[in-house]
Amino acid sequence: MALPAPPDVPSIPPPTRTPLFEGSTQFRNWRFSQQQLHATRVSLNRSAVTAIRNTFEADLPGSSSDIQFLESKEELLLVKLYVTKISQLCGHFRFPEEVEATGISYLKRFYLKNTVMDWHPKNVMLTALFLATKTTNNPISLEAYTSNIPRTSASDVLDLEFLVAQSLAFEFAIWHAHRALWGLWLDVQDLPNAPNRDDLQKYYDTAVQHVRTSRLTDAELIYPPSQIALACLSLADSDLAATWARAKGAESVLQIIPSIKDMILQDGQVPSVEVVREIDRRLKVCKNPEKVVGSKAYLAKKEKEEREAESKRAKKAEGVRKAMEDGDPFGDELNGAATAIAALDDDD
Amino acid sequence: MDAVEKANAARQRRWTKDQKVGEGTYAVVYRGREAATGRRVAIKKLKVGQFKDGLDMSAIREVKYLRELRHPNVIELLDVFSSKTNLNLVLEFLDSELEAIIKDRTLVFLPADIKSWIAMTFRGLEYCHRNFVLHRDLKPNNLLIASDGQLKLADFGLARDFADPGYKMTCQVITRWYRPPELLFGSRYYSTAVDIWSVGCIFAELMLRTPYLPGESDMDQLKTIFRALGTPAEEDWPVRPPRTASDDTLADVHALQGHTKLPDYVPVGQFPKTPLRDLFTAASADTLNLLGKCLVYEPRKRISAKEALNHPYFSALPYPSHPSKLPKCAAQLASAKVLEEVNGNVDPVGQGPGVKAAPPKRAKRKLSDDDISRNIARKLDFS
Repeated sequence: MALPAPPDVPSIPPPTRTPLFEGSTQFRNWRFSQQQLHATRVSLNRSAVTAIRNTFEADLPGSSSDIQFLESKEELLLVKLYVTKISQLCGHFRFPEEVEATGISYLKRFYLKNTVMDWHPKNVMLTALFLATKTTNNPISLEAYTSNIPRTSASDVLDLEFLVAQSLAFEFAIWHAHRALWGLWLDVQDLPNAPNRDDLQKYYDTAVQHVRTSRLTDAELIYPPSQIALACLSLADSDLAATWARAKGAESVLQIIPSIKDMILQDGQVPSVEVVREIDRRLKVCKNPEKVVGSKAYLAKKEKEEREAESKRAKKAEGVRKAMEDGDPFGDELNGAATAIAALDDDD
Repeated sequence: MDAVEKANAARQRRWTKDQKVGEGTYAVVYRGREAATGRRVAIKKLKVGQFKDGLDMSAIREVKYLRELRHPNVIELLDVFSSKTNLNLVLEFLDSELEAIIKDRTLVFLPADIKSWIAMTFRGLEYCHRNFVLHRDLKPNNLLIASDGQLKLADFGLARDFADPGYKMTCQVITRWYRPPELLFGSRYYSTAVDIWSVGCIFAELMLRTPYLPGESDMDQLKTIFRALGTPAEEDWPVRPPRTASDDTLADVHALQGHTKLPDYVPVGQFPKTPLRDLFTAASADTLNLLGKCLVYEPRKRISAKEALNHPYFSALPYPSHPSKLPKCAAQLASAKVLEEVNGNVDPVGQGPGVKAAPPKRAKRKLSDDDISRNIARKLDFS
């Protein structure tokens, strides 16, 4: 029998335990509503179109008028196709599932900060996957990686590595639905009245396939991995998923499950190659000329950057020289200042 | 400029570099400030462009884990930005580190001080282990001390997530003097227990004021361990044969062998087991009980960080010193520390004294005015 606490003793609330997942960068920074995802993509697409149009016009007025720029949903289709390419490559290299899932998450997150008109997903995909091998502790040498992928050089992968890492905000840790499903698999084997082992194995294998399908969708950007895993188990056997949720006292989660299931079933289709090929053909025309190595706009941009860097270096050198000239050769406090400036590296 | 580049430039502007305080093969460390507030920070600039495989693993590990971990006893990564081909980590600025404090002979440690440092170490470590992260390089100079006395785990360049059962990990981790015997014998399947052994070594070092198990080579390290703790018999340290990832049979799970079956096992001689009491003459029974549990040969029987925090040692008198009352070294050793951290060496640079830990000169504590005030302060804090 719980007695009410005497009034003069402040009742101490029981310590609340926050789930570990809620401390992760994935929970804090990479969860969105469907509306947010849509708005982000549309606005990225719009600003890219505006910027590229301006670049074209600067080069030759009127030249952008008949260009058919990509829409955000077309960009998304192209990215989706490259998600499937990651899976193919991982099969080829026999990478563990964690590498595949991480590479795919990186690719999707990258295109929440960038557009395909600036950076074509082919090389971004290669870089995202290479980065994933390292962040998941399955490193392979760049040489071994590129030599096994046709028409790929080391610079195709490395040139973008910094950009990809930056776009991910250096948040490399990913919580995956397939791990959550593994936890469910261990749990359901302990349920009272659990189905027999063969059936369980069959449900699990089916659920794993659904998790793989879910990687083609936005599910991981909207729902936590545990809910995606439960939805996949529910797609394999809805009774088993419901029994598990009741056994855990988590019936409320079952309300969310149908919308995840719908998303996996509707959006989990591999895009048709013809459609994507057509998008890619149009992309050749409308991609940002500043990013095309060797183009006029690219060279102009490089030259501007070089000029800025040069004037910065000159300013710094002047500062050092002045400090040296003013100082006594046998050393006074000004020499200290000179060395302090010299100690800072070139690129600061 | 792209949105991503803009965001990076904005981050870069938040921090200013003041002074270079150390340079190593892979990194340069600057003392810096947050431009808006003047808050002191350390900026660790990793040279990335030089690696043929791009961003290197230790940079990736450090960034990956410090991005996720947030705890009073783990160093805080405030920001990350890139400049050209360099990766810049903005870390909270910490004055000192435990090795410098141990070496500062002008400082006297009370048992309560040691208890406080070890408690903070276990707290930080329990948090890492709770998040499935193995640190794999615990040693006094990776335990940094903030100006308020808080101890913080740092240098996550060798950290990794727990491997799944059946997946191998490298045994070439942890600085030799703090490396547990299972790694010296080449075990590729190991656990959080490797970090606990390191804490045990640090615990002993705090009492002895000199490294407890300073081996001169990997082979000598085993000898040094066995000389101090006795050579284990086969049944003292049984080993479960590893299951391969594909192996689903449960039949041989309970088949245990001895540690002599570990991959790199070599006999290093028979040494008798001597009680810890013989070396740690002034330590309380609780202290030696916890120390002994950190230095158990069989990794699965070694105490966990969580169990350690519930050990009677921490609730017995004397209570741990308040962090602000802990001994501090007078010298600003921050620059020396960052230099060493930059090198990120797995093996200790020097060979060390190579002596068996001698019983400490346990000079009788003189009760100076300062000590009296510290005791009063402690009473005020905890009564």
